[in-house]
Amino acid sequence: MRSRLLLLLAVLGLLAAPVPASASAAVAVTIGAVDLDGPAVSTVEVTVTNGGSARLSRLSVSFAGPIGWTSYPASRSVKEALAPGASATVEFLIHVPEKPASFTVRKFTATASYRGGDGAGTATGTRLERSGAPLAGLAAAYNNVGVTAESNPTPGNFDGEGNSFSSARLAEKGLTPGAAVTALGATLRWPSVPVGTPDNAAGGGRTIEFTGQGSRLVFLGSGSSFAATGTVTVWYSDGTAASATLGFPNWSFQDAGAHGATLVAATAGRNRPTGYGDAAYEYRVFANSIPLDPAKTVELVTLPGNGAVHVFDLATA
Amino acid sequence: MTDLLNVSRRSLFGGALAAGALAALPASASADDATADPRRRRDQRTMIGVPFEEHRTVRVGLVGLGNRGMGMLDGWAAVPGCVVTAVHDVRADRANRAADRLVSLGKPRPAVHATDRSLFAADDVDFVYIATPWEFHYAQGKGALLGGKHVGVELPIATELAELWDLVDTSELTRKHLFLMENCSYGRNELAMLKMAHEGVFGEITNGHGGYLHDLRALLFSDTYYTDAWRRKWHTRSIASFYPMHGLAPIAACMDVNRGDRFTYLRATATAPRGLADYRARHVPQGHPSWNETYINGDLVTCLIDTERGRVIRAEHDVSSPRPYSRINSLAGSRGIVEDYPARVYLEPDHGGHAWQDFRPYRDRFDHWLWKEVGDENNGGHGGMDYVLQWRVVQQMRAGLVPDIDVYDSAVWCSPVPLSVRSLERDGKPVRVPDFTRGQWMTPRVGLDSRPSAMPATV
Repeated sequence: MRSRLLLLLAVLGLLAAPVPASASAAVAVTIGAVDLDGPAVSTVEVTVTNGGSARLSRLSVSFAGPIGWTSYPASRSVKEALAPGASATVEFLIHVPEKPASFTVRKFTATASYRGGDGAGTATGTRLERSGAPLAGLAAAYNNVGVTAESNPTPGNFDGEGNSFSSARLAEKGLTPGAAVTALGATLRWPSVPVGTPDNAAGGGRTIEFTGQGSRLVFLGSGSSFAATGTVTVWYSDGTAASATLGFPNWSFQDAGAHGATLVAATAGRNRPTGYGDAAYEYRVFANSIPLDPAKTVELVTLPGNGAVHVFDLATA
Repeated sequence: MTDLLNVSRRSLFGGALAAGALAALPASASADDATADPRRRRDQRTMIGVPFEEHRTVRVGLVGLGNRGMGMLDGWAAVPGCVVTAVHDVRADRANRAADRLVSLGKPRPAVHATDRSLFAADDVDFVYIATPWEFHYAQGKGALLGGKHVGVELPIATELAELWDLVDTSELTRKHLFLMENCSYGRNELAMLKMAHEGVFGEITNGHGGYLHDLRALLFSDTYYTDAWRRKWHTRSIASFYPMHGLAPIAACMDVNRGDRFTYLRATATAPRGLADYRARHVPQGHPSWNETYINGDLVTCLIDTERGRVIRAEHDVSSPRPYSRINSLAGSRGIVEDYPARVYLEPDHGGHAWQDFRPYRDRFDHWLWKEVGDENNGGHGGMDYVLQWRVVQQMRAGLVPDIDVYDSAVWCSPVPLSVRSLERDGKPVRVPDFTRGQWMTPRVGLDSRPSAMPATV
């Protein structure tokens, strides 16, 4: 009842004082702030503004939150036509779960379907809501031991089966703790941590603080499956975000150019739980990159959720 | 109690389960009609979202002090701000023993009531807890509501559709809450599963399985455990899913049933009844009263329940076969699955390789506040969830909160009992599940996945 009243007031009010059409002359869908302090049922306002030059009619608005969240209703219809420049606001309810302590991004999507307006027939608006604190940097996201000493391979578990890179073989290629690594125009660092301790971030989709600017973001890493790809989201200081796919070849037995990666170093053999072995085979480290908007400053980076994507370092280029 | 031993198996269908003394049903609920929901009376209003009035102290009256009732006694005595003021059992010695036990715990001696009706009328009782045999639940639940009490009823709250409707209507008319004392809704794994569902960990939920798979044969044939063998006798009278709620209720919560989704249709299957007779032949001496009984309920009764949002739930009941205990607790969606006994998960993108992974890290991450702040697996029965339930009931009443479980949840969770009879009568055809909310199921609202809140301080 309350939402119907709100809708009516919004339509009537804006019909009485229409705002000018936007420069883009398009129908715009905007989603109001969502209270993420759950568990709770939050009310969300979705506003459709007729930026087109024609009257907009038969407006229907649907709304959805992150996957698995219950919202109501599935759609709302607006009986009144919207003059150019006018807008209508409708309300939805959404069941918001408990707010996680870690950094979390929630995506909300609203879609309007209509006749007239800008003639497009549909328009979609999205809203990203962030909550929680990001990790202080990549090192804080290290959760996997990828490198061990041949004298003590036990802590290693790069591939989920207890195998890991040999620190001695990596050192032969210049990959020692804190060493500079140049790849794809970026200068990266091999993890500056003691051998046999967590040295890479693998999975979990965690978000880290990272400040930088450039045309691309370069990652130093390797894969522990033949499908080691995932989504990276870059958060700029202006509040915008962009996502791209990042992938590494499997550390062995896969084309070094898979997923568009570049070989950085190939080492002979690996450390198995019982000691160094598999010397006839190469175990490799790669670099790969995703594009950046060079005009913007990176503030945060959300790493892939796929635990097969291992990231040792990242830098802008 | 009605003796249906000589009634043919066929005539046991038709919606009428074995029943004890029943209160008179109102006209709106007189027909056991599964095709249309009765309209609400003019003076009736929903109990959805209605908070308890605040109680400085919750005064509890206990009805039924057999295994379950006595098992919960210490918990009621231990919850801060709760005092047991009244007890009743048809066997007075049990009621007196409960009163003695409370005194031995340093609590005031409760009034021992000679009748349930007397307890329902008592002016020093706020909440009635009913733990009697199933056939008495409906009449006693209704009686307590009419006595102006809030009511918690052990499983099930009633066994007939008309009774379920009548409890909904009586709650709405009396403005008092009646709810199922579903301890498994407060299980640690179940609550973590619920929070994971709400977070979207399973993606779009498509199906869930739950049930009550508990080899009770030894207890069913015990001469002392179930008074007058009341539970075994149900197996001689009815073909139905007697008791699937322990597994069904947590799955329903995960699907936001009555909070955005609803059960629509139910179809049931029943295996042949083999387990009890075979057990008796091997373990029960000739001459035991059970040798006069014929067991008719299927060992495994399965209900498939459709929901409005296209999900399917499988709810199972089997207490008469040799097997390890399980409530199944399985929930699956477009991004993964959880399954209990043992608790394991398979969730994208965290897992791959077609291999189950340990549930424990997820249980820790999604642990419910009640388990962080109240729950103790060594405190109270059934791994601590009994006490969590009791604490939460008292806290909700003392703080004036909206109950996590209301009469609508309770009615629909118990509806498979009569609906399985109806479906089996129709050779397993789907039967409609009533909408006890009368249209309000669509609106999201918070339930068992609650916000943390404190127990009011005791003065």
